[in-house]
Amino acid sequence: MPKAVSTDYQSRVRKPDDFDAFWQDVLRQAAAIPLEAEVVPDPLRTSNDVEVFEVFYTSLDHVRIASWYCRPARRADRSPAIMLLPGYQMDPPIPKEWARKGYNALSVAPRGKLRSNRQFNPGYPNLLTHNIVDRHTYAYRGFYVDAWRGIDFLLSRPEVDGTRIGVAGSSQGGGLAITTAAMRPEVRAAAAGVPYLCGIMDAIELTHTYPYEEINDYLRLHPERRTEVETTLAYFDGINFAERITCPIVVNIGLQDNVCPPETGYALFNRIGARDKQLDPYDGHGHDGGRSRHGAIVDRFFAQHLLNER
Amino acid sequence: MDQLPRNFREFWQETLAGLARYPACPELEAIPLRSTAFATLYGLRLTSIGPYRLFGYLSIPTGTGPFPAIYYSPKYQSVHEIIPQGTANLQRSRYITFSLAGRGQRNADTPYAAMFPGLLTEGIDDPTAYIFRGIIADSVRGLEFLLTRRELDPTRVVVVGNDVALITAALTGGATHVVATPALFYKTAELAVRTQTYPLEEINDYLRMFPARAEAVRRTLAYYDLCAFAPRIAAPTLLMTGAPGTVLDGQALKPLIDALPGRVTVHESEQSLYRDGLYAEQWMAAQCGIGDSQSILPEHWRD
Repeated sequence: MPKAVSTDYQSRVRKPDDFDAFWQDVLRQAAAIPLEAEVVPDPLRTSNDVEVFEVFYTSLDHVRIASWYCRPARRADRSPAIMLLPGYQMDPPIPKEWARKGYNALSVAPRGKLRSNRQFNPGYPNLLTHNIVDRHTYAYRGFYVDAWRGIDFLLSRPEVDGTRIGVAGSSQGGGLAITTAAMRPEVRAAAAGVPYLCGIMDAIELTHTYPYEEINDYLRLHPERRTEVETTLAYFDGINFAERITCPIVVNIGLQDNVCPPETGYALFNRIGARDKQLDPYDGHGHDGGRSRHGAIVDRFFAQHLLNER
Repeated sequence: MDQLPRNFREFWQETLAGLARYPACPELEAIPLRSTAFATLYGLRLTSIGPYRLFGYLSIPTGTGPFPAIYYSPKYQSVHEIIPQGTANLQRSRYITFSLAGRGQRNADTPYAAMFPGLLTEGIDDPTAYIFRGIIADSVRGLEFLLTRRELDPTRVVVVGNDVALITAALTGGATHVVATPALFYKTAELAVRTQTYPLEEINDYLRMFPARAEAVRRTLAYYDLCAFAPRIAAPTLLMTGAPGTVLDGQALKPLIDALPGRVTVHESEQSLYRDGLYAEQWMAAQCGIGDSQSILPEHWRD
């Protein structure tokens, strides 16, 4: 049997003094860029019960971001919305199943992902270390904003009830759910599975699998840059965003997760500021985070908070 | 499965003959960023049918060898990995690993960049123009290349992947073991109507849009059905099936399992990437005679 995981694992990450100022400045830059949303019907993927659209909007550095948008064919004038955020290597899925549950659902492809890679394409592996010595040009600066701008798109839609918006994702999607819930107060409920990008410098010692291994590769070749790397990553570590989260949130982790070490999941959860927070650790599970059992919990969680079901 | 096309054998012979007309012309280049004390990583370019230039990541362990090899055949996803996400990097200390991007995947997306979803129905009206004819040829070409490596122990070559891994093992020699997770080409048209999940949902989307093409789609898929290839797969095979009750569970795949003439081990998914992944890693290590497999497992899977 694998070793037990410490539930009070202490991350080494420290919050930079100018963390909030850094992100306020990024948000100010982003706000100056018009969203220029384009919504294109996709008849090939549309069915009787779900309408499917390709969505494009402009994000930081004027990078054009693609998304899938699904809405129930039969819906109220204004209904709740979920934003789905993708894993590191996955292609963002068409979120038809969320529309079938009654949500307007947006599945974002942040920069570098397929369909959002015309202007920015560092590749895989490489995204995690692209400009990692400079927080002002690091890949995830724009990548995070691309996800946050998805909320602006949802708020622009007449069929979306802007008071009932949730975010969800697993792995990198879990990390993005954390940062989005932290930075966008319009988010009313969040589900973060096996969150990536949390306790990053801890993770590269706890596990030696990709994608975190990209950083070990980089530091092996450039050991003299370790301080700059640590400095940059502190601005992007989900643990440093966590205390800003105030909406209800559910987090799940796998205790044998070989990609996002469960220790970092505990460290993250302990720092989340929300009073209404729940952690579900799954023994006997890896990077799936117990999805086969946890899926129903997430469904109930959003139904309670966004569909107003009891 | 639909009836086996009368020219099934000729169709694939012609495909392989078409592949043989193009020499692989491999170009290897070391990648220092991804090389370690225990393994050197190379980027590889080589030519497949078309002609089409492909890309692969080849990792060679440090030492004299010969080494067992794991060949990661092309996947249904845009991202092309060195080794699958979550695999211990130390796997590369004991095995040669070779991961090939099929046409359309990243690193092999010029001139054709595949969409996901989209790949499964690209050119599906015509078995010859169907994108997977090229992808399967790509996979065969990758295995052919791997077998040329002098560091390789040819008695321990594991082909790992989805349906493409099984078809590759059927069409060409050299695979001594197969680890496959069918997802694309087992009774595709029949099973697609029972799911709303991609990739099979691509078939539903396509036939909703183009109902008149249903017969053409069925005809094409008959050339790619795993049951047609199964009698030619003699290598010991680990078949990773869906969890009980899912579309591709062990019960659904029984005709395929029965049709495989070699030794077959079936692992029904326990809906845990840890349990399923550990099973596959230990199976490969046992087949390849690697005694201390603990040392090349991810840290959180070790005892």
